[in-house]
Formats: sequence, C-alpha cells, structure tokens
Amino acid sequence: MMIQAEHINFYYGTFQALKNINMEIEANTVTAFIGPSGCGKSTFLRLINRMNDLIPDAKMDGTLKVEDKDIYAPDVKVDELRKRVGMVFQKPNPFPKSIYDNLAYGLRVNGVKDKKIIDERVETSLKGAALWDEVKDKLNKSAYDLSGGQQQRLCIARALAVQPSILLMDEPASALDPISTSKIEDLIFELKKDYTIVIVTHNMQQATRVSDKTAFFYLGNLIEYDDTQKIFLNPKEKETQNYITGRFG
Amino acid sequence: MSSITSLHTRKRVSQHVAFWIFRLTALAVVAVLVWILGFLFVNGASVISWEFLTSEPTNGMTEGGILPAIVGTLCLVAGSMLFAFPVGVLSGIYMNEYAKNGWIIRFIRMMTDNLGAIPSIVFGLFGMSLFVNALDFGDSIIAGSLTLGLLVLPIVIRTTEEALKTVDDTLRHASLALGASKFYTVCHVVLPVAMPNILTGLILAIGRVSGETAPILFTVAAYFLPKLPSSIFDQVMALPYHLYVLATSGTDLIASRRMAYGTALVLIVIVLILNICATLIRKHFTKHQAK
Amino acid sequence: MARRKLAIVNEKIAETIIRVCGWISSLTILLMVVFLFKEGAGLFSSKQVEDGYVLAVNKSNKVDHLGVENIKDIFDMEITNWKEVGGEDMDIIVFRFTDITNYVSAEQLGADFENLPQCIDSVLAANAGMIAFFPETYMPENFSGKRIDGDNITLSSFFAGTEWFPTATPAPIFGILPLFLATILVSLAAIIMAVPLALSVAIYMAELASPKVRKILKPTIELLAGIPSVVYGFFGLVVFVPMVQKAFDLPVGETALAGAIILAIMALPTIITVSEDAMRSVPRSMKEASLALGATHWQTIWKVIMPYASSGIIAAIVMGVGRAIGETMAVLMVTGNSAVIPDSLLTPVRTIPATIAAELGEAPVGGAHYQALFMLGCILFVITLLISLAANKIQSKKK
Repeated sequence: MMIQAEHINFYYGTFQALKNINMEIEANTVTAFIGPSGCGKSTFLRLINRMNDLIPDAKMDGTLKVEDKDIYAPDVKVDELRKRVGMVFQKPNPFPKSIYDNLAYGLRVNGVKDKKIIDERVETSLKGAALWDEVKDKLNKSAYDLSGGQQQRLCIARALAVQPSILLMDEPASALDPISTSKIEDLIFELKKDYTIVIVTHNMQQATRVSDKTAFFYLGNLIEYDDTQKIFLNPKEKETQNYITGRFG
Repeated sequence: MSSITSLHTRKRVSQHVAFWIFRLTALAVVAVLVWILGFLFVNGASVISWEFLTSEPTNGMTEGGILPAIVGTLCLVAGSMLFAFPVGVLSGIYMNEYAKNGWIIRFIRMMTDNLGAIPSIVFGLFGMSLFVNALDFGDSIIAGSLTLGLLVLPIVIRTTEEALKTVDDTLRHASLALGASKFYTVCHVVLPVAMPNILTGLILAIGRVSGETAPILFTVAAYFLPKLPSSIFDQVMALPYHLYVLATSGTDLIASRRMAYGTALVLIVIVLILNICATLIRKHFTKHQAK
Repeated sequence: MARRKLAIVNEKIAETIIRVCGWISSLTILLMVVFLFKEGAGLFSSKQVEDGYVLAVNKSNKVDHLGVENIKDIFDMEITNWKEVGGEDMDIIVFRFTDITNYVSAEQLGADFENLPQCIDSVLAANAGMIAFFPETYMPENFSGKRIDGDNITLSSFFAGTEWFPTATPAPIFGILPLFLATILVSLAAIIMAVPLALSVAIYMAELASPKVRKILKPTIELLAGIPSVVYGFFGLVVFVPMVQKAFDLPVGETALAGAIILAIMALPTIITVSEDAMRSVPRSMKEASLALGATHWQTIWKVIMPYASSGIIAAIVMGVGRAIGETMAVLMVTGNSAVIPDSLLTPVRTIPATIAAELGEAPVGGAHYQALFMLGCILFVITLLISLAANKIQSKKK
C-alpha cells in the first residue's frame, strides 16, 4: 500500500475538520477527492505531506502511513517526507527565479550540487511535464514570463525533479483555461505510470476523466470511496448521489 | 544512504543553529530595552518627588525641580497639536476621500513620505529661518510649536489615511445612497468610525513632540528660565532640551547628574504612558472592528 | 431654501480647506528648499575674511591671494616666511590692530584714537613683510597698503576643505570633509552593527515567533522607536561612553564608536519593522511550494523568503541609513565633537547634524558661519531626501 489512513481525526482549534477517515491508496493509481467546499478533502490531502503542520492550533490523531511508515511518528523528518511526497498547488506558484532555477531548487535544497545531474534532471522533469519543447530555448528566462498553464506545468515539473513517489495535486487546474486544463489532464494520465497521484478537484468531469478511484468527502466524513466508475454510475450512498447529480455543492 | 543521512543532519543542524541565533537576537533586543528602562528607573526613581515635579531648578540647576521644563513641554505639545492635528487629519481626509486623480495624489503622498524622512535638525533650521526670522516670531512657543507641528505632520497624515482606509466602502455608499453629500458622509459616517485609529496617530505624534530636541534648539528652548510663560511669544524650557543641558553643559555636570536622571525618567514615563494608551486604543478598536 | 444654499456654501468652504491642507506637506518641502537655500546661499558670495574686517599687506608684497588655510597658519605662526606662500624670501610680521601700541605711542594715536587709521597705514608702509588685520572702521583714507581680502569663499574650499574651523580669525575655515566623513563613518558603522541584528529579529518575528511572542515583541520595538533621542544620548553618555573608554583604554570615551553603538540601537526599530513587513508580504504559496519540495524551514527562509522580500529589506536598510545620518542629539552627546577627519572608530568625531546643533546657537545671524551651518542643513536635506526617494523607489519596485 502506498498510503494508508487509519482513524484520522483532524481539528482546527475546536473545529473538527476530519472525522475518522480510513482509506488505502495503491501505488501507480490516480485517486480523486471530491466533495463540496469545506468538506475536508484538501485538509486530508495536506495531511499526506504534513503541510498542515504550518497551521497553528491544528491537531491530528490516528495513523497515516506512507510506504508503510507512520509519517507522524516522532522520528520522521518532515523535509525528507516532503521530498518523497510532491505537491502541486491550486494556483501556479513558481518562484521569482529563472525556469532553470525553479527546477533546480528542490535538488539544491536536498544537497545536489553536481551541475551535470541537475541539468539532466531539469530536462527529464520538463519532458515529464510535457513542457520541454516549449521552454528548452529559454531556460534562463523568468518563470513569470510563462503563461498560466505553462506555469502550472512548470510547477509539476518542479515537483517531479526531486523524484517523489507520490504527487499530491490540490485542484491543479482550477485557475486555468480549458485548453491548459486538458493538457494537465493528459499529463496526469501519463504520470500515472511512474507516480501515485492524489488529486483534489471540484470538477466531476475531471475526476471521471483522470482518476481510477474516487473518494467523496462530506462535512469531514469520508462518505464513499471506490472505483471511479462505480462512484459515478452507481453510488451506494444517498449523499454521493445528491452531490454528483448536482443537488448541492 | 549514509551521505543522504549526513546531508539531512547538516540541513537540520544549520536550521537549528540559525533559529537559535534568531531567538537570541530577539531576546537581546528586548534585553536592550529592559536595560535602558531599568537603568533609568533605578537611577531616576530616587530623584522623583513631588517637589522635583513642582518646583523650579535652583543652585545652578543642581537642585530643585523641573517644573518650568514640564510646563514648557506641555505648552509645546498643546501648540504643535493645535496645528498638526487638524491640518494632518484634514490632509488625510483629502488624500483618502477627495483626491482621486492619479499623479496629484501620488505626488502628495511622495512628499508626505519624504517629509517624514527629513532629519529633525533640518526642521529646526527651517523653523528658525521661517518662523523665528522671516515671520519675526522670535524664539517663542509659537515658533517652536509650528516647527514641531510640521515635524509630526507626516505621522498624523499617515495614520489618518490608514484609519480611513479601514472604513468599509459599503458604509460610504449607504450614506451617499440616502442622499447625503460627500462632506456630510465624511463627517458623520466615516470619521466617527475611523476616530479611534486617528487618535492612536495623535498619541504617537504627542510622544514624538514631547521627546524632540533638535527642532526646538533654535526656535524656542531656553537654557535656564525659572519662570512660567505668559504668552505664546515667550521662550520656555523643555524636558528634552533640559536633559541635554543637564547632561552636557550644566554649570556642574557631576552635581546635576542626579537631576538629569530624574528628567530622563520623567521623559521615559511620558513616552511609556503614551505608548500604552496607543496600544490600548488600538486593541479596543480592533475588538470593535471584529464584531 | 436659503438654509440649504448656506449649507452648500459652507460645504464648499470646508472642502476647500480640506484641499489646501492636503497640499501642506508638499508645500512644506518646497518651503524648506526655499528657506534653507535662502539662508545658506549667501555663503559663496561672502568674503573669506570675517565680515567688517580688512586684511592687508605692504604694497610691495607680491602675494595677491591667500587661501583660508594659509591665513590661519600665518596667524597661528605656523607659516613665518612669505616664500612659503609664493612671495619673496622675507619674514612675516603678523599685525593685529590691538598690536598698534607696540609700534606707536599713545600720544600719536590721539585721545580718542582719532589717528589710529593713519598710524595703521604708516606702520604697514614701514614694514615690508607685514600682514595686517583690522576692522574696516579703521580703514585709513588713501590707504597705501594692498588689501588681500577680496576672495570669496569657494565651492571647492567648502566641499573639499579638510578643516572645519568656523571661529578662526581673521579667516574662518569651512571645509566640510571632516564632518561629512564623520557622518558617513558613524552611520555606516551603526548600520553594519544594526543590520544583522535587525534582520535576525525580523526573521524571528515574521517566521518563528508564536502570535503570543509577537504580541510582546511588537510593542517592545515600537517603544524602542519611541524613546526620545536625547534619552538615548544620555544613556549612551553614562553607559556606553565609559564602557568604550575602559574597553579600549582610551583617554576619552566619547568616540565615533560610542555614537555608532547608540545609532545602531536607534536604527533597529526602523529596519526591523520595514523588513518584517516585507517578509510577511511574501505570498504563502511561495513558502508552501518550497516546503513541499523538501526544503527545511531555514532553507525556505534563506532561499525563497529573503530573496522575495529583498527589495523591502534593502529599502529598510536604506531607511535605517537615512535615520542614522540625520540623527542629531544622541550623536552630539556621545561622539566627543572634534571636527577632524576621523582615522578610526576610536577617535572623537563630529557629524553634520551635531555640528549644526552645537554651533548654530553661537553663530551670529546672517554671518558666514551661520550661512555655512545652513549650507550643512541643505546638504543634510538633500542627502536624506535622496535616500528617502531611493528607499521608496526600491520598495515600490516589486509591487
């Protein structure tokens, strides 16, 4: 199992954002988290690379294992975990540096100094993110010169460069136009071969297009988690059906 | 694997070291403040007495009190605020509510920012040249007050502007939609909401005025003048200048050291009280905002 | 109806007042330019030699011009031969008009000194190597000597002069280099001390401190900014000055170093507040992106937050420099006030603002000294204005 969650409860202060979540995610699959705003899907995603550590007053209990290791055990080094669990955010957030330096950043902070290795990794990850052909001649240009869609693929490439095994995507296409969105979706399909991908999305078509499995969250509960086909065609739970048929959300 | 582990150890050790340095420097800055305050309190407390606060300096300023300096500083605070408060608040209102055309407002804001960066001694020169000489006020409360008023003008303008900015636009629109004029809206809707924050600016400005020395050196301050002022064209003593005199150019520096400690403590206490007031008002205000 | 009209008129008046007030800070800066330069500008059209006095030599003397430094050296008896200043090989005889009784008797001067001018004339005519300095009121008719006080104070002697000696007679020396260099020395030393401290505190406040700790630190720093400079000066005088004296075993503790230490403390709040604001305005997404790539918090601060906030941090430092350069009272009280070109941090110095504060009270209004001090004010005004403009420019660049 790539990711295993057992009895996860999560609180922002006194507010309980996640209630007894149990879930297992297999390697080399795409799992979509869906549900209305505030349902806890992003919160759960950000538990997997411990991004919620940044929030003061937040508290978690339960066990969360990545590659069979409890990532909230006291001896776990957060930066090493985050190296293995890459993340792509809702809005493209390249650093105000050159394209090349954006890609090299993750390697440098992890102690890679050899320029040859960095060059090679920059190229493979840009190719991996289907951006290489568009930017290979302007690697030293600022990342801000790219279009929004290109920036988001750059951020994916940046995450790939540190060679994670899991890629978390928090609504990666919500700030993009339809053409860029479809490019990202194609990319997710490609990346599945090498990575385990977890994607949060508001867009149900997107979930059906890219994911193998879908988890539906509602009010902090994991209502239903199954093959995407089953969730959308034949949901077991009433809330799931209401949501996917657009009765609330 | 071992090289990776060592890298991660190194990363963490450097983070550990860096963060401890930051914690310690922050602590050091607090320590400096405590040191200054503590030092002045310890040395000044024994000097402070009712007599010290209410009598005139005697015996070559080595004995007696500092009443004329306290009164002088009060006069200067009052005078400068009479000028700076209305003018500053009106300027702030102009900049936030009226001036909407691009370059004008940018120009004025730039000038205001830069005015705040000009050293107080230059204000002193300017005040001397304009108020003392050109307008022929002589060394007087009015010349000193106007100089100090100009000095703190940027503070008052800035805080007024910031205060007005926090007022929700929907309030303005609601008032305008009811047929109120812009001026009426500003006076009866916007200003009352913004007032507590504007007052914070006023208090900070008072703190600045009561402690400034350089601008009053040549516009009002008297070395030794054991009588209280009777008109705005009189010279006065002032606390900060008095401290300067006691510390560096009194008749007997060793003997007047005690008086200097007392004066410094009085100044510090004034600043302390004003700061606490400003913090309280701000806290009170943000609480109201939250509701 | 009439009441309504009146209300509208009142409103118009009020709005006009508001508008006028809006312009007042701009107006103040313009007035500052006018008045400071008005008072200072006369400096370069005033004579080197003190106003109302005459400096003259014997008609046969080949020297037509003397620089202020030379005049001072001659009257201090450091130059004793005319050939040192380009004249013939001849001893210099210094003559102040009070020396007249060494040359002529009281009877010759007359009961009411009515013959004094004539006597000066004849004494000067009789001594080929004499240089005479006397009030213009005693100027003889048909003066037989040669006046050499025609030169004005020059720009280069002011800006590049290495001596500041405003009370020297017969010719005061206004060379601002010692003051200027002292200002730069003290300010730079202060900033070098303050910047690492201030940035550490700013990082701590922006990134590490819990909200509770921040709630304590913030007012602390505001208070540090609120303490009057004269109190800092006093504290420096009674605490740092003796410390510096003891630590370096100096004859006096009032040194550039003591000034720099005090200035460093005074510059802290400005640098901390502005750079902390800059660091806080770094988007959260930047920080998260870095952490998500496996960077530690410190790596994120160093490689993402600091570069992103760099323009704000630089602006903060520049503002700190501006404050340090303009600070008057504290520096005046602890730096020892000796207007010589500093050769180390451990010598007494005098900065530009301290000079103005210390000397303006004694300079006769309208005299050359007074004008020179206003000129210093102009310089200070221009420097700090430029610094402030630069800081604002840098700060607004990013946004």
